[in-house]
Amino acid sequence: MQTGGAASALLLCVGLVVWLGWLVLREIDDFSVANSDNLQWSLAQADVEFLQFRLAMKDAQDNPAAMEDVRRRFDIFYSRMVTMSSGRVFHALRESVQSSAPRMRVLDFLEKTVPLIDGPDQEFLAELPSLLQQSEQVTADVRSFSLAALAAFAEVSDSRREGITELMIYIAAVLLALFIGLTLLAYAMFRLFRLAQKRADALQFASTRMKTIVQTSPNAIVVTDEVGVVREFNTAAEALFGFTRAEAVGRLALELMVPAETLGRHQFGALAFLDEHRRPRPEEQHFEITLQTRDLHLFPAEISADRAEADNPLYVFYIRDISNWKEAEEQLTEARDRALAGERTKSEFLAVMSHEMRTPLNGLLGAMQLMRDHSLTERQGDLLDRMQSSGRLLLELVNDVLDLAKFEAGKMKAEEAPFSINRLLDGLVETAQPLAQTYGNELNWRWSGPEGDGAIGDARRLRQVLLNLVGNALKFTRDGSVEVEVEYLDAARTEVEFRVIDNGIGIAEKDLARIFQDFETLDSSYAREAGGTGLGLGIARRFMRLMGGEIGAESEPGEGSLFWIRVPLTPVEAVAAAPEEPRDHPDAPQRPLDVLLVEDNEINRFIVREMLEGEGHKVTIAENGQAGVDAAALHRYDVILMDISMPVMDGTTASGHIRGGTGACAAVPIIALTAHALPEERERFRKVGMTACLTKPIERPLLLRTLAEVTSGDVPALPPEPGVAPAAAPLLTVVQPQQEVPAAPETELLDEERLGAFLSEVPRPTVDKLLERFYAEMDRNIAALAETAPDDPDLGPVAHQCAGSCGPFGVEALRRALGRIETQVKRGDQPSRAELAALADLWQQSRSALESRLEAA
Amino acid sequence: MLGLPSLRTLIALALLVAPVAAAAAKDLPKPEEQPLLVVSGAISNTNLDGTASFDFDMLEGLDTVTFTTKTIWTDGEQTFTGVQLSDLMELVGATGNEIKATAINDYAVNIPREDWVDGGPIVAFLNHGEKMPVRNKGPLWIVYPFDQRPEYQTEQIYSRAIWQLDRIIVLD
Repeated sequence: MQTGGAASALLLCVGLVVWLGWLVLREIDDFSVANSDNLQWSLAQADVEFLQFRLAMKDAQDNPAAMEDVRRRFDIFYSRMVTMSSGRVFHALRESVQSSAPRMRVLDFLEKTVPLIDGPDQEFLAELPSLLQQSEQVTADVRSFSLAALAAFAEVSDSRREGITELMIYIAAVLLALFIGLTLLAYAMFRLFRLAQKRADALQFASTRMKTIVQTSPNAIVVTDEVGVVREFNTAAEALFGFTRAEAVGRLALELMVPAETLGRHQFGALAFLDEHRRPRPEEQHFEITLQTRDLHLFPAEISADRAEADNPLYVFYIRDISNWKEAEEQLTEARDRALAGERTKSEFLAVMSHEMRTPLNGLLGAMQLMRDHSLTERQGDLLDRMQSSGRLLLELVNDVLDLAKFEAGKMKAEEAPFSINRLLDGLVETAQPLAQTYGNELNWRWSGPEGDGAIGDARRLRQVLLNLVGNALKFTRDGSVEVEVEYLDAARTEVEFRVIDNGIGIAEKDLARIFQDFETLDSSYAREAGGTGLGLGIARRFMRLMGGEIGAESEPGEGSLFWIRVPLTPVEAVAAAPEEPRDHPDAPQRPLDVLLVEDNEINRFIVREMLEGEGHKVTIAENGQAGVDAAALHRYDVILMDISMPVMDGTTASGHIRGGTGACAAVPIIALTAHALPEERERFRKVGMTACLTKPIERPLLLRTLAEVTSGDVPALPPEPGVAPAAAPLLTVVQPQQEVPAAPETELLDEERLGAFLSEVPRPTVDKLLERFYAEMDRNIAALAETAPDDPDLGPVAHQCAGSCGPFGVEALRRALGRIETQVKRGDQPSRAELAALADLWQQSRSALESRLEAA
Repeated sequence: MLGLPSLRTLIALALLVAPVAAAAAKDLPKPEEQPLLVVSGAISNTNLDGTASFDFDMLEGLDTVTFTTKTIWTDGEQTFTGVQLSDLMELVGATGNEIKATAINDYAVNIPREDWVDGGPIVAFLNHGEKMPVRNKGPLWIVYPFDQRPEYQTEQIYSRAIWQLDRIIVLD
């Protein structure tokens, strides 16, 4: 727009100048060639010459000798008139002037006079008087012609002057226009200049500022062009890399800063975008890399890089030496790891110690119970009571510490299972009733507000907390009452409050805060009398936190106390049976049973037989599935114990045959014995008609209880969905211990409890014989396993066999490791070679531990 | 008005310039008829009473130049024949730097020496090859080659183009 305007203005100017120039040139042309000599002179001369002619004529009247002069004057006048009739000068006169009457008459006079002039003197002299007379008239004509011509010429020169004036005005106007135009142009130019200057200044300023920013940056800044040639290298970069700016600029950044061996291998790594001449992707713009300084010192660096897109793209790198940071990070990590390890070691130590203490305690308590079978004096009986009471207290303490340690080790998590609140509280009251009677207290529970029942939550821990609260309440109340209230806190029944209210001695205000702390006992006679570790409420508090609930207390000294817990529970419709509930079944079969034991592992076979025969049951052995089927067909046993993994025929198939056939035992309960039952496996057991499932290693009490249950006909078959209905007692109680303590590699090598039980149940000579065989079998099989290919089909069975052998001796860590391998094989995965190789070491450690343990025994 | 000299004129000029030098410094004969032109003043070559007088035949006998040009006083192209003023001045041995040319009607004008050049004005005595009567600017007319040399088209030169010439006084 502006350009167009300027162009048209320019064009107009040029047009004006050209036009004016043309005008001026024409004028100059006109002036350079004079169009006339002095016209006025000529006209005046005409007058004069005619008068001279007349004078000559007058002279001639008196003196005829003057005739020559008359002729000369005539000729001169004639010539004048001829001159004024021709030529450009004369043509400038108007037609009207040329053809005016006076001129015509003058010319007429001249033409008439010529013959007289040219004629003889006599004739001329004769005519002279009339000629003179005529000439008088002609004088006037010449005069008027001259005047007319003058007027005409004046007009011409006027118009010409006007033309010139006009031209001058044009020139002035155009000059003015040009001047204005030039002024405007100059102004515009000035503006442009100022603008350009301003821009240049701004650019300069920005550049200076940028330079300052770059130079003062504490981080090294390196700018390269597209090929990676260094263009900018700031002070921090100089300090970091040891090159001066002059040295660095112009060199390849990669060669300058990246270690030569990295470059040599063409492994640009994070700097690949530079090599590929492209913009780094967002995830490529921040990275850590190892760079080198001038003296080839390597250091870790953090780089922010991007490409400035332009005609000549630039790469900008912000480089930070993170050596110190890395070092600090490492130190911090190390410190943290050390602290964590220390904490873990402490917790583990506690857990191990508690665990270790439990075994001998159990031994002591068991021995005391056995002592009661002997005849004792009253005094001995009292002493035994005290010993037992102290022992139980000690066991309680150890269990508390174990809970605490597990909690602190982070190995504990709340369980989610359906249970019945009513049955939980029934059981609670029933359990605590003996204690209540001891102190002469009444113990009851009731709903406050609308009644409910089913809920999903961690019933076991909830029961433990409530038992603790109730126990405390009973201990600090004499001949009073303890009441448990339960109430839903919201309409949706997602939060439940349990209140344990007593009318005992109460707790002072100042003590209320600290009773939930660990190892706090209130200094009261009751407390000393009642005993306790002071851990109970601390553990309760932790359990509540674990379940997402709260615990608190209110009390009035002398009036009583109120302990409450609030816990979020998911309501469910109805719960069939409560696992915690004491069952109607006795803990052991009421009569000697005829048992068929189908088991291939000799050690297991021996142990189970020992357990059962020790209880007075009759045991028949079958060494594999086929033998079991055969035996079951011939004789009706009370119950069949069926190992699952066996040569010739496995337990599942054998059970299928027994149930499907018409043998003597087609309807006899079958209990599966398995190292570790996967849910899908148990579904399989159920389908073939097995009655229950026991997880190895077999514990005597569980075995006896399960036998009691299945032989009483109470558990007709495996429940259809064992995971959802844990009420199936034999399954759940057996499987649970495994879930509670997740299988971890750091499991102690030996399960002291199991080993202790084994040693106490089996005579020492037999133990030694079994151990000898165990060592031989394990040495051989573990060595084989450690070198077996992960996809070897024999892997699963061998691992199973070894795991089975480990069980009775309490070689727990190895058993679990083998179990994991077996599980993997069963699920179609392949265990890693490292895992297999690790078995050899584990076995060696386990064997040493076992040997030293047995030497001590 | 502007124009190149015609080829004919150029040829004429070329032919007629050469003999000019040869005419120098010869004795002037006396005029046999009534002189048309009387040159007086600062001259060295005289023939009559201290003047250099020329009749028609004498002029015609000199080296002449013919050219064709337009003038502002005439209509159409005019062919003039005459003696170059420079030749004439050389012939009379003019020593001054200026001449005063006077006409029959007593019109007078001064012509400086710078005009007396080869290819400059002529003292014409023939127009279209014929003698010029007094009734038509005769008998002599100083004519400049206006068309050939446009710089002569000025009022000053026009004023010097004196017709009905009969006297020349060479001024010191």
